Amino acid sequence: MLCIGCRTCMIGCVVAHEGKHIFEVDPDGYDFHPKLKVIKTFNVSVPVQCKHCEAPACMAACKSDAIHIVNGTVIIRTEKCIGCKSCAEACPFGAIQMVTLGSARNADGAPRSVANKCDLCQDQPKGPACLRVCPTAALRLVKEEDLGQTLKNKRLATLGLALGAEAQKQAAIGA
Amino acid sequence: MSMGVHEIEDAALLFVFGYNGADSHPIVARRIVRAKQKGAKIICCDPRRIETARIADMHLQLKGGTNLLLVNALANVIIEEGLCDDDFIEKHSTGFEEFKEVIKKYTPEGVAERTEISAGEIRKAARMYAQSGRSMILYGMGVCQFGQAVDVVKGLANLAIMTGNFGRPAVGIGPVRGQNNVQGACDMGALPNVYPGYQSVTVPAIREKFEKAWGVKLSDQPGITLTNVPHHVLHEPDPKKRIHAYYIMGEDPAQSDPDLAEVRESLEKCDFVILQDIYMNKTGQYADVILPATGWCEHDAVYSCCDRGFQKARKLIEPTGDVKRDWEIIGLISKAMGRPMEYTNTVQIWNEVIDLCPGFMGATDEKLEKNACIQWPCRSKEEHDMGTVFLHKDGKFAHPDGKAKFAPSEWRPPQELENEEYPLSFSTVREVGHYSVRTMSGNCRTLRNLEDEPGWIQMNPEDCGELGLRHGELVKVRSKRGYCITRCLPTERVKKGATYMTYQWWIGACNELTIGNLDPISKTPEYKYCACRVEKIEDQAWAEKHVREEYEEIRANMGIQTKGGRAA
Repeated sequence: MLCIGCRTCMIGCVVAHEGKHIFEVDPDGYDFHPKLKVIKTFNVSVPVQCKHCEAPACMAACKSDAIHIVNGTVIIRTEKCIGCKSCAEACPFGAIQMVTLGSARNADGAPRSVANKCDLCQDQPKGPACLRVCPTAALRLVKEEDLGQTLKNKRLATLGLALGAEAQKQAAIGA
Repeated sequence: MSMGVHEIEDAALLFVFGYNGADSHPIVARRIVRAKQKGAKIICCDPRRIETARIADMHLQLKGGTNLLLVNALANVIIEEGLCDDDFIEKHSTGFEEFKEVIKKYTPEGVAERTEISAGEIRKAARMYAQSGRSMILYGMGVCQFGQAVDVVKGLANLAIMTGNFGRPAVGIGPVRGQNNVQGACDMGALPNVYPGYQSVTVPAIREKFEKAWGVKLSDQPGITLTNVPHHVLHEPDPKKRIHAYYIMGEDPAQSDPDLAEVRESLEKCDFVILQDIYMNKTGQYADVILPATGWCEHDAVYSCCDRGFQKARKLIEPTGDVKRDWEIIGLISKAMGRPMEYTNTVQIWNEVIDLCPGFMGATDEKLEKNACIQWPCRSKEEHDMGTVFLHKDGKFAHPDGKAKFAPSEWRPPQELENEEYPLSFSTVREVGHYSVRTMSGNCRTLRNLEDEPGWIQMNPEDCGELGLRHGELVKVRSKRGYCITRCLPTERVKKGATYMTYQWWIGACNELTIGNLDPISKTPEYKYCACRVEKIEDQAWAEKHVREEYEEIRANMGIQTKGGRAA
């Protein structure tokens, strides 16, 4: 609900990963590959990004052992990526995009294409850049403990609904 | 704005009319989001499914060009259902009876078909607005950029008066002004009929005051509005009354004004054109002289926010290159023309401003230094006067009798409606990221990474389907006045039959299409309505190449070093 679709997160992401030199080099001399993408539909505006699944489909699909879980974060090691797109196809959220690197070439001289997705700003001391730059604070980092509580609440709510429905059914039969 | 921007968060109901905060002013949009979080109800009136519409309790997706029909119908319901604040009307307003007469015929049922909003929805919205206790209206260019604009502003004010939503915290009506410091430009007298501080040029006592302060003779006639310049260059028969020289500061009429073909002709035919800006722009191509100025971080300044708040902006870096601050340039030109204007810093200028403007008198440099913001009116230099957060306290209005005046108006349709040849309606809009005519933001690399030439035309997917258009395909958009090339963006957020383009692109220059129909009072053009058609381009490869070449050409003309190494 909070997202206003401004895409500041996408720019924040690139600046965080590419470094400040992008403001000094030739305007066409750096890669602009945000690791999240704002999607707008009739009723939703939201950045789509990696959910860092517990058992990632992308990791299972990767043929070059380029995807790993480090400290609970799913990471693509770009140097090992062969650009086969298997992970992008496997991801149920569409959170992986294939991007072409301006700086790197394959052995045959063709531009090198690799999988690109959110790494929760692993190397950033202040944490994910998108969180910091969002003007409406629409993004939030959910930790394992938060998740436990959310799950518990959801289960209790479901149980409550089920019990309520059962009681109603009993009452209806009784009537 | 009658209220302060920060008060938006505290309204019980926000009535957002023709104002797309998320794209125009993300920082103000944040206040709207916070209001929602704090429990405010939101009614959004906009033909598009804008971000505010997503979080609104009601979205009145009206047909473009029917603003006054809807506003009058809301007033009609408030009267008919006895939802008026009778006490406020009685004590603080005049003209209610005449107003009622005009409004009588604007029944929700009567306007439902034209506005494309059901009578039930109109009634519900009117009740919500009248009964929230603290209703605030925010409006934007979706109200002002029509041939009938001032009437709608008055219509919105009527709603606020009749429900007593004036003169208290977190109520009122707020035009969220289009650009940074456009309020400041008006405050400082960059209008043809007033000196700084909204002091009329036709009042002899005021003129004499300024003549004495400046030591020059001043005209007692209002000047010409920006949008009337082409007429006074091209069609004024008397050479003495014709405009011969045109001095443009921080504006790009060859990009932002309607009917660009006519603007270009007038710039070409005008004897002498001066452009003062921080980067080259389209208008610069027609200039005889270019005066390079400093950017926002290279000089000290005072800005006015849309809520009348003066704020100091401070120099961060030393300017480099052959540039001067705007006030230095003006001073030098004035001196060369025989009237020395010798300031050494902006505080001197500010002191002169407040001494000549009773409404700003108390906004001293010391107070601006100490406090982030002082909202005018601030009439006393004493420390206790900290300005005015909201206007019309205790129901006191600016008319001589201290009362608000109901101003009824009859609706009139936009000048150019859809027709057989041009079956779609066309409106200019904004997009977040690119500011105004892109003179500045077009030079910001990461913003360019997100969006670049030739921009997009937003269309309903059904219309795209009928024309066989796909997402991203280059199309020709044409009106009676001209055409431009842009990319097709099918989106369900747009109603069938309507199209929208942002106005900053050089190639996708949608003001080639717009119409110079002006509001009779504000002289603002009808950017929000004309008729167009969208044409498929069969040879996409040619179109892509054409767009690239055009872009290179424009950049080369402007002296920008291009990728292909064209002349700088």
